[in-house]
Amino acid sequence: MGTMANTVDATWAELVRLCNEQFESVPFKRLLEAKFSRASAQHYSIQMAYYVQNRRDCWGYVQGSAPLDVKQLIWHHEEDELIGQRAQGKMDHITLAVKEGEVFGLTADAFERTPRLEGGEVCFSAWIRLSQRPWLEALAGSAILEMRNSAELIKGGSLSQRISAMLERDLGIPMKKQINNAEHVVMDVEHAHMLMQVARKHAATDSARNALLRGARDSLMIDRVYRGHLADMMAALPQGG
Amino acid sequence: MDLVGDLLKTLDQMVNDQFESIEFKNFLGVPLTLERGRFYVVQNALYTSNRRDCWGYVQGSAPLAVKRVIWEHESDELINDPRAGMDHYALTVKQGEVIGLKAEDFEKAEVPAMVRACFYAWHHIALRSHWLAAYTSSHMLERRNNGKIVKGGGMSYRVGKKFENELGINLKRMISLDVHVVADTEHSENISEMFERYVKTTEDRDLVLQGARDSMAIDRAYRGALGYYMEQIH
Repeated sequence: MGTMANTVDATWAELVRLCNEQFESVPFKRLLEAKFSRASAQHYSIQMAYYVQNRRDCWGYVQGSAPLDVKQLIWHHEEDELIGQRAQGKMDHITLAVKEGEVFGLTADAFERTPRLEGGEVCFSAWIRLSQRPWLEALAGSAILEMRNSAELIKGGSLSQRISAMLERDLGIPMKKQINNAEHVVMDVEHAHMLMQVARKHAATDSARNALLRGARDSLMIDRVYRGHLADMMAALPQGG
Repeated sequence: MDLVGDLLKTLDQMVNDQFESIEFKNFLGVPLTLERGRFYVVQNALYTSNRRDCWGYVQGSAPLAVKRVIWEHESDELINDPRAGMDHYALTVKQGEVIGLKAEDFEKAEVPAMVRACFYAWHHIALRSHWLAAYTSSHMLERRNNGKIVKGGGMSYRVGKKFENELGINLKRMISLDVHVVADTEHSENISEMFERYVKTTEDRDLVLQGARDSMAIDRAYRGALGYYMEQIH
């Protein structure tokens, strides 16, 4: 039992290391060294709404292939994301993303009119493909993106935190007005622990733990490509206004 | 032409036709014994698990508004049905107690070969088809259980009545079958509403019909398989 706990802990440590390493990659650095203009904030916000939608696709597929107890965890996870916490007056995360767009001068219509980034479309397809792999790989592929967004696990701040700080610095929009970023800064700390919870029960073998690592690594690779496309998009937009 | 109205009539006809098929007639004609009843209840739990897989896959591919409807649907199935105070898998296991089954009977149950082939076939539709076809494939199994649509009662009702008539176990004690008589009526009506919103062209309609036909074919094969295996139990 002790050995099992140790090996799961070691897997967790490796996953956390991989998430932190993500911020040292060239695409992440390019994105995080960019400067937001109003136009690039608008486009970034719209593309992130598509990213959130793709997460919903992927989590659905993962729910489909996972064992019953993990399906139940994912169902609860998707309540925050897809439905919102009605009792607490919290919106679902897609409505939240559209609502956040208002502070950048976007209307709901802009989200419907603006197409997906081509590179984003390719990454979304890759994530969907990953989400249809054997369930432990698929689960890790989706859960790792929330670990990468957990302020508790990432030294120097999660991706949502860092983007939020950039928007505050460049456009003077305080984080509390960036309601989508602010929500994810909190929620992804909580959601990040799902993978460990599942690993303790279902990753009893080297093969299972390797599946988790394989899914996580592949997803982080797609994530780097995706962030690189976002950085390209921002660099191509007008810097003023 | 009333595209959606005509489509719904066709779907209603298809679920009624299921009960005229040789596979359904054979399955419903196999006399129940306690052992056959146990086999059926365990298999029904595995069927419920397969439904959870497929609805998850459909949730993955469907548009956002449909994802939300499926999520709500899965609340009863996966988390807690207020009609029963538990999720539908737990409900099936609980129902098993009435006929002497224990939780481990469900845990160690094997999926027989012909049933396994059907489960994979439903997975295939749920994962690989256009979302409208995938969605309809899963929906049809609840429509086929809707006593307001199926003359003579849906599948859960008829099987429940077999337990009552042939084994003397009142339908109310077969709690999973009893809940599904009501739950699938509500589920199939809620899910059916999505056709009004998303079926706009004959191509959309054809996708729905393709999903319906494929799922009903698998359903006949599945019921035929259950009937076959039950006949082997003496």
